[in-house]
Amino acid sequence: MSDHDTMSGVADLDVVVDCDAHLTEHQEDVLPYLPSPFAEMVGGGLASDDYGYIGNFYPSAGFLTPVNTGKIESTSVKSRDAVREGMAMLDTTRTVLTPTQNLYLGCVQHPELAAALATAYNEWFLDTIAAPDDGLSGACLVAPQRPGDAAEEIDDRADEDAVCAVFLPSGGVDPPLGKERYHPIYEAAEDNGLPVMMHNAAGTMMLSFSHQFQGFDRYLSSHVPAHAMQHMVHLSSMLTKGVPELFDVDFVVQEAGIGWIPYFVRRFDHEYRAKREDAPLLERLPSEYVRDQFYFTSQPVEGTEDPQYIADTIRHFGGEESLLFSSDYPHLDFDHSSDLFRILKSQFGPETVRKVYGETALGVFDF
Amino acid sequence: MSDDRVHVASVEDFEDGSRVVVDVEGREIAVFRTDDGFYALSNYCVHQGGPACEGAITGTLDVEDGDLVYDREGEIVSCPWHGWEFDVTTGEHLADPAYRLPTYEVVRDDGELYVR
Repeated sequence: MSDHDTMSGVADLDVVVDCDAHLTEHQEDVLPYLPSPFAEMVGGGLASDDYGYIGNFYPSAGFLTPVNTGKIESTSVKSRDAVREGMAMLDTTRTVLTPTQNLYLGCVQHPELAAALATAYNEWFLDTIAAPDDGLSGACLVAPQRPGDAAEEIDDRADEDAVCAVFLPSGGVDPPLGKERYHPIYEAAEDNGLPVMMHNAAGTMMLSFSHQFQGFDRYLSSHVPAHAMQHMVHLSSMLTKGVPELFDVDFVVQEAGIGWIPYFVRRFDHEYRAKREDAPLLERLPSEYVRDQFYFTSQPVEGTEDPQYIADTIRHFGGEESLLFSSDYPHLDFDHSSDLFRILKSQFGPETVRKVYGETALGVFDF
Repeated sequence: MSDDRVHVASVEDFEDGSRVVVDVEGREIAVFRTDDGFYALSNYCVHQGGPACEGAITGTLDVEDGDLVYDREGEIVSCPWHGWEFDVTTGEHLADPAYRLPTYEVVRDDGELYVR
């Protein structure tokens, strides 16, 4: 029996790394870990009525979603047992845990408070969730509003066994991530040998694309473009300003599906050939930096009803080497691990399946 | 499943609700009661394998003469994993008729319900 035949399901793989599954922390969970002076200022939260909106430091887009209508059941993941329950359902052996409410950290108005919330989240994560020997790893959250504080946060956390990446909540972040002000974050990531995860959220477009946010006036029309749109803004800025040339850092670009990647990379090369003077720091084609230093998490994989599309798209961006399986569990558009597995198995050899489902992640992350 | 009918539930099982999920020869089947009668659907979601019939039983939004209206109360079940809406009476996925949950004929006989 060939190796391929023995691989009938995800459970048959020795290593299955979920490169984006979320905790569902709420502000009140992390406030007890706030550092000074915010610990003293806000303590455990509001002492009186919150008026319905004033209690939250994270702005909300107010979407009407299938979670609000009860058509999707939301699952809380705020304990080791809850993480393990999800991993059992998905047949994963290790998870890179990422936040939920803190996907909106880049939208918090008060920069010093945002940095303090990042510290508090990391403390909460290490105190109540982390279990690296048991497959529960996570990313060190940083606030893009305060790159200097972010660099300190990275330095402080990098030695923790459970910390395998830097988590940059990139949604709603302005100016875009190629600007020099963010260099301390990339420098700290490089010094500590950690990859940088970039993750948006649909509602964060209320800051980064505020006119469009109002104009879309629905969750569907906002969510469809939001993730890839914001990634393209940041990557366009980062490549033009030479970030991957200046810093020997790997980037993990999350939750935007796959089809936009070959389009964006080809378009970038095409334009760079005519506009090189706008990107004088680059010494190679933009696509070569993407190939060498950028990884992409799979969820939400679009077009799974057409396995040939998935296979072609993956080949078009070299995804055999750079695609990382992710579930996004427990969020409302999560991918079960069996879905992409079935398609990869029908279109690629076992080596590629093993890479996407974990072996590439072992090389990217410091587990 | 064989050609013979298989017992799935009793009418009295629906006194406290409009849905019963049963295991029939290794397959999970959900039986629903609507105002029009009983309907049986596969509980395995054709999207990603979630428990399609265990989610919310609701109506759904529609537009009439330009106004938003809520329609078909009790006839729609949504998969709790991703919210795909299915018509309880036909198994059809509301957004894309290319997808549907398998349905089974329900036979009522002397207070007992059978599928075939």
